Amino acid sequence: MTDTAVIHTEGLTKVFGNVRALDRLDLTVRPGEVHGFLGPNGAGKSTTIRVLLGLMKATSGHAELFGGDPWRDAPRLHRRLAYVAGDVALWPALTGGQCLDVLGATQGGVDERRRTDLIERFDLDPTKRVRDYSKGNRQKVALIAALAAHADLLVLDEPTSGLDPLMEQAFQECIRERREEGVTVLLSSHIMGEVEALADRVSIIRRGRTVTSGTLADLRRHTRTAVRVVTVSEAVGLADADGVTDFQSEWIDGLKDSRFSINSDNLDAVIGRLHAAGIHTLTVTPPSLDALFLQNYGETLDPDEVAADGSLAEAAR
Amino acid sequence: MSARRLPASDRLFGLRTMLRIVGRIQRRGALTWVLVLGASMIGTAASIAALYDTPTKIHSYAEAVTSGNALVAINGMVEGIDSLGGVIQDEFGFMASFLLPLLGIRLAARATRLEEESGRLELLLGGRIARHEPTLAALLVATATIVTTGLLFVVGLVVCGVPLAGSILYALSLVALAFVFAGLAALLAQLTLHARGVYTWSLIVLASSYVLRGVGDATKTWVTWLSPLGWAEKTAPFGDQRWWALAIPLAAGLSLCGTALLLAARRDLGSALVRSGAGPERAAARLRGPIGLAVWIHRPAILGWLAGGVLLTGMMGALSQQLLDAMAGNHALAEAMGIANGRPLDGFVAATQLYLAVIAAGYVVQAIGTLRTEEAEGRLETRLSGTLSRARWLASHTLVLLGGLMMIVLGSSLVLGLTTALSVGDMAELGTTLRSGLAYLPAELVLAGLALTVYGLRPRLFGISWVSYAVMTFIAFLGPGLKFRQWALDISPTTHVGNPPAGTIQTGALTVMTGVAVTLMVVGFTAFRRRGVPQS
Repeated sequence: MTDTAVIHTEGLTKVFGNVRALDRLDLTVRPGEVHGFLGPNGAGKSTTIRVLLGLMKATSGHAELFGGDPWRDAPRLHRRLAYVAGDVALWPALTGGQCLDVLGATQGGVDERRRTDLIERFDLDPTKRVRDYSKGNRQKVALIAALAAHADLLVLDEPTSGLDPLMEQAFQECIRERREEGVTVLLSSHIMGEVEALADRVSIIRRGRTVTSGTLADLRRHTRTAVRVVTVSEAVGLADADGVTDFQSEWIDGLKDSRFSINSDNLDAVIGRLHAAGIHTLTVTPPSLDALFLQNYGETLDPDEVAADGSLAEAAR
Repeated sequence: MSARRLPASDRLFGLRTMLRIVGRIQRRGALTWVLVLGASMIGTAASIAALYDTPTKIHSYAEAVTSGNALVAINGMVEGIDSLGGVIQDEFGFMASFLLPLLGIRLAARATRLEEESGRLELLLGGRIARHEPTLAALLVATATIVTTGLLFVVGLVVCGVPLAGSILYALSLVALAFVFAGLAALLAQLTLHARGVYTWSLIVLASSYVLRGVGDATKTWVTWLSPLGWAEKTAPFGDQRWWALAIPLAAGLSLCGTALLLAARRDLGSALVRSGAGPERAAARLRGPIGLAVWIHRPAILGWLAGGVLLTGMMGALSQQLLDAMAGNHALAEAMGIANGRPLDGFVAATQLYLAVIAAGYVVQAIGTLRTEEAEGRLETRLSGTLSRARWLASHTLVLLGGLMMIVLGSSLVLGLTTALSVGDMAELGTTLRSGLAYLPAELVLAGLALTVYGLRPRLFGISWVSYAVMTFIAFLGPGLKFRQWALDISPTTHVGNPPAGTIQTGALTVMTGVAVTLMVVGFTAFRRRGVPQS
């Protein structure tokens, strides 16, 4: 698997002073997949990407990009990728169009047709100076440059943080098109809906370490589904059934209104019991990515972690 | 905070808050300005007081500098120059013409348009801050800083033995000068969209003021009265003492500030009278290569420093014959210019070349500082995410900045050679002048090497480069005049060049310095290739 993966890290560790930004992080991105890369601020997403781009050298561990060493071979490997940084920084006195060309010049090549098409789809005025653009428009320049490039891999670090919903839509369409053409995408994001809509597989990291990784279906299988049901009579033994937790119920207007959460594996058996009691209405909500994310983070970050994130940001600066 | 207050105290609340914010933003910059200005004024005054310690010496100085229009155009027409205060006003005249207006411009622009451009102002105006209050606070903080500088001037002058009344009037005239430009910058901040525009237009006004004052003084006409620099001069602190003349800059400054406040209160946030238009849709082919982009990034700085160098050398060259005449009858003047013995013309060219070396070294440090800005603002990260390697990126920038250095040194030396040759009527000076300009290159490269090493190892400590530059400038300008010991003079690389063409070029020392420079650059390159990006 190692030799076919586009991105592969094993035990990746990066230390800034006395702060561990990455702590034995494992990440594998397979060819042709959109890989969601999730984690709170300061979890190490940007640091991972910088190591993968050869901008920073790992303290220890192993990082591979297209099977090569990103630190030693950066310029050669970069021929095959395009990158959108988390904080889009461009030259204020250049126009958007000039920036596109300057960025394009150091990429493996630019598809001119796609460039024109993207400018139109993202509704960008390429004759405006970068310093006159809003944050969202600067973001669009970086996105168009990356999407127009002849690349096998797109590395996107929170690429839509300044975009409006319409542009977000356009962005998702573009990513789907590129994936259909066989492009691999590493998508670091905060927007769960976006990752849910695009990602084939997801890695969630925390404090520089991978907490969980897999397809969305995989992740969901190990988590709980919320059920709300109104039945004609009381379902027998529902509260004590295998896999049911957080059970609450009350009689409303002669109907039994129950809420509970359940392991996906036990869903079938429980639905049988509900059916026996006569289903009036039934809502089954699979866990959202938000829920998965929060579950992996134990609902909230503890104060220690917030402090560690702060010092990490300082150290990276 | 939670309790609702009366509107009257509310009004003060906004201003108080803004004053605290602006004070915090400006604290470090303002302090640096006050200290640097105070130190240069007191340093100048003290060294002049020591050099011209008898009325006879002062008299011969006065005779020398008033013997032609040249120095009057540069330093200004000083009334009452036949006094210690007059000599100080004359010697400090050139520096004061630029530093004080710059102080006002910087303080006002920093806290107004720059804050608006960055979006921070929007955050504040979303709170309980009225639209005009940030500008008002900026102007109040600027005024306080300027007045503090003025107080330091008075203390320094009085300590050096200048009469109190004259010292106060002189300091006030400079305070008023800085105030006018603070008001101008505050007004321009309302009209232009970016802080850069504020600086550009303010500097254009400043340059025009300098030219108007120069023309007026040289021709002895009313033209001087059109220039804010002229208003300061016409107070004649060591001559007739026209206190009423302070009313002109005060009125001008207040009306500029008033208009700025009025506009700030009425216009939309983020709006401007002058907006930049559309630009090209595609980048030219040369912009797409690493060297082309580096040229584009460094061009404004190269042209700016080149203009400074050409202005200085052109002026000095054009005045060379006049200065030679003045020096012929006055040894003290020659000594004050750092020309003690030997052929006066060579000494004069050597002195100018030293000034030029300081300009060129300043360019080098600033240009390498630009690399740090590229990295700190995140553009380097984007730049290196493509097929461009670190080594190529740094090499193209180094190449361009060395090319810029050559342009500045050669261009300015050429202008110096030509104008001097024309002034004294002898073309033979041209070659000598060019050679002595080039002889300073290794010294400038040592500074470039140092700056690159700091950038490669720890960009955060880039201030070290500027401190080294300041030390070099200080030793080069004041070391010989203040009779520093040899080891102290030897700290500055410029000392080792050999003061050409008055002295012989020290080929051995130049070789050593080139070696040091190359070694430092290699260290910088190696370190840069090994460290993480971005680091600031």
